[in-house]
Amino acid sequence: MKTNEPLGLTAESLDRSSVIVWMWLVGLLGAGMMVFMLPIPRIPTLLLIFGIAGFKATLVIRDYMHLKGEKLMIYAIALTPLLLAIALALVLIPDIVFHH
Amino acid sequence: MSTAVQTASAEVPVGYESVAPPSGKLGVWWFLASEIMVFGGFIGSYVLLRVAHGGWPDQASHVNWRLGAINTLVLVTSSLTMILALNAVRIERRERAARFLLLTVLLGFTFLGVKSIEYTRELSEGFTPSSGMFWSFYYIMTGLHGVHVLGGIVLNAILYIAAVRGTLWSGNRRARVEFAGLYWHFVDVVWIFLFPLLYLA
Amino acid sequence: MEVATSHTQPTGFIRRYLFSTDHKVIAKQYLSLSLAMALVGGFTSYLIRWQLAWPETNIPGWGPIGPDDYNAIITMHGTVMVFFVAMPFLLGAFGNFLIPLMIGANDMAFPRLNMISFWTLFTASVVLTSSMFVPGGAAAAGWTSYAPLSDNPIYTGVNRGQNLWILAVALEFGSFLMGGINFLTTTLNMRAPGMSLSRLPILVWMEITAAVVFLLSVGPLIAGALMLLMDRTLGTGFFRPDRGGDPLLWEHLFWFFGHPEVYVVALPGFGMMLEIIPVFARKPIFGYRTIIWSTIAAGLLSFIVWAHHMFVSGMDPRLATPFSVTTILISVPFAIIVFAMIASVWRGAIVLSTAMLFALGGLATFLVGGVTGIFLGSATTDIFLHGTYFVVAHFHYTLFPVTFFGGFAGLYYWFPKMFGRMMNEALGKIHFLFTFVCFNAVFIPLFLAGLKGNPRRLYEMSSYDFLKPVQQFHVIATIATIGLLVGQLPLVVNFVYSLVRGKTATANPWQANTLEWTTASPPPHENFRKMPMVYRAPYEYSVPGAPSDWIPQTEPPQPIYPVTAVAD
Repeated sequence: MKTNEPLGLTAESLDRSSVIVWMWLVGLLGAGMMVFMLPIPRIPTLLLIFGIAGFKATLVIRDYMHLKGEKLMIYAIALTPLLLAIALALVLIPDIVFHH
Repeated sequence: MSTAVQTASAEVPVGYESVAPPSGKLGVWWFLASEIMVFGGFIGSYVLLRVAHGGWPDQASHVNWRLGAINTLVLVTSSLTMILALNAVRIERRERAARFLLLTVLLGFTFLGVKSIEYTRELSEGFTPSSGMFWSFYYIMTGLHGVHVLGGIVLNAILYIAAVRGTLWSGNRRARVEFAGLYWHFVDVVWIFLFPLLYLA
Repeated sequence: MEVATSHTQPTGFIRRYLFSTDHKVIAKQYLSLSLAMALVGGFTSYLIRWQLAWPETNIPGWGPIGPDDYNAIITMHGTVMVFFVAMPFLLGAFGNFLIPLMIGANDMAFPRLNMISFWTLFTASVVLTSSMFVPGGAAAAGWTSYAPLSDNPIYTGVNRGQNLWILAVALEFGSFLMGGINFLTTTLNMRAPGMSLSRLPILVWMEITAAVVFLLSVGPLIAGALMLLMDRTLGTGFFRPDRGGDPLLWEHLFWFFGHPEVYVVALPGFGMMLEIIPVFARKPIFGYRTIIWSTIAAGLLSFIVWAHHMFVSGMDPRLATPFSVTTILISVPFAIIVFAMIASVWRGAIVLSTAMLFALGGLATFLVGGVTGIFLGSATTDIFLHGTYFVVAHFHYTLFPVTFFGGFAGLYYWFPKMFGRMMNEALGKIHFLFTFVCFNAVFIPLFLAGLKGNPRRLYEMSSYDFLKPVQQFHVIATIATIGLLVGQLPLVVNFVYSLVRGKTATANPWQANTLEWTTASPPPHENFRKMPMVYRAPYEYSVPGAPSDWIPQTEPPQPIYPVTAVAD
């Protein structure tokens, strides 16, 4: 199977970029743990750790799942359910959060 | 006119019209889309109910966030080994690919092992699925995720065996490493969210 | 990657007919399963209707039924008809058979996945059937399985049966997820040269839209089903108020899927009617692109209308208006599709074959269903009509036309291609007459009963004085039901007889344009001996100046056609 990489990228550089992403992921994990352990008020803590989680997820999706180089259709297939699930949760707020 | 013959390659067969990426990859992404809806349904329900009921702080404080963090590290590293396996496949370094596939399998087992340790401790302390809504969600979400990890382990183990036996390198079977990788990374992404949701919030 | 390779047909009964990966064989397996389950579904409707017309009597061929039995029977009726008849018939059978043929492919993108999807559904139907024989009987909480009725066994007295129901439905979901992935990937990647998306037959567009809608809507219900199962087996309380849970969450998760699901069923039904109408009116479909865009719009909108099933559930009343608005909105694309169908027939050279009769009958009856949906879609009127027989009549006037009128139209039309033989037209027309007349006779009285306030899911009405006037409607509906069921006998006879002794079919008995008619009846294992080359859209019927009134999609363009318009 031929690679889809453009000329100029070697095997070593592929691996290097994968490892760099991993280091980011570990670093972000560590950052998240620090935020968790520090005495920061609740709402900013939550925003930070979920923001960090989102960033980590984006890295995995973009670089490991190679969404970066994919056709528009794959973006649509990946993004639509996410937005739909969020929309469902939003519509459910009046009933589940406020009228339980 | 050519007969309806397909080439054994990752590309779309000669002759067919296509607007999409090759079929195997496209199929996996459609599958992942449905999985996003499943986990999205769980996570959405969990978040809403947790906010509704005041956060369940007394229940949630009993999860072991250290073990959870270790598991996150394990899974993230297994994503690295998976992509390294795929990189190796792409440049025909067969032994290297097999090695990284094996590592991914082992890391997967490690994840499940840590999870079992957690479950054992929690159950022995009396925290069962019916101990409270937090626990119900905890068990069902990590349980479903764990089943997915197990499925991924099986897939990757099959690929590892095929790599070692040599059958992975015939025809276009090596493309399956990419598909298994997509699935495995997805399982990792789900955990990336489950970890803060269940352990840190 | 599993590219459908050109391979020789396997020998041996098991590989060829039982565990086949050939989409045509799998389609026939789905067809057999759906028709067998239709017998079950039809029988349950007989029991229901007899009980309602003549309560507390011995139902011939069964015996008496009490309220608990009744609840189980209506649950089985709904579950079987939606999940084990409509879906396998319209998507499993016709989708599988026709998609590769209509796009010029030699099989689906993932033939083995296809085989697994059928056997998963088969397993699901075994699980569901077995649930009728376990202690406590079959699930009795309705096909909608609302919590806490479905969640707490005290209410229905059913325990194992309900768990088996959840398992059966979950397996069915898995089966159609696999199928949907196959349909989508195949259609996007395996079209013959020249078969651009704008030349796809409408049925294929409908099937893939249905596949996407199903794929995106079923996830949250899978989550909900797992939660329900845990409630019932592990003591959790996701949906149980006595354990701190929220029953409304179940309703939301169910209907978030349940509403798109009915369009998953409806769209392929329309697709079949839309394929058949141009052939038997000998004129192009009116508004091909408009229909496609309306279909996509309907598919999108279908995700934001679900709470119209919940107007009186106790949900936040502020949700009522937005969902009423979206529901009324969704009637627009459907109205456009219906108008397009009517315009497609208008002034055509109509041939009233059995297939055409069923297609037109489906169109006419669906109109009634669609229009009555508008009353239900508006929260203000729905307050009075929810949970009455008006709803029952409405959804039968939508689901039955698409599943049975559309499905039967497809059966009569594609039987020659599937089996290489013609069905008997006279028997077909008798079948149509019985079905059309009796169907209307069953459900129009039920509209009237609903308008008088007749609640549904009651096993008999005699305890209520205000329902005395509607009893006559129920008697009429029951007699008509018996007629409807008996009226299916001509189909059974026709089907079986034609399979063995029907006239041999030619490749293109209907003189139709789409690709499946360019190959033999039935098609060879690899579908097309040579890869088809597509030059045209599918509906070039009665093109002015053409030598015949139909031009197949594979016909190359002829530059000598006169291009000037005919003076009018």
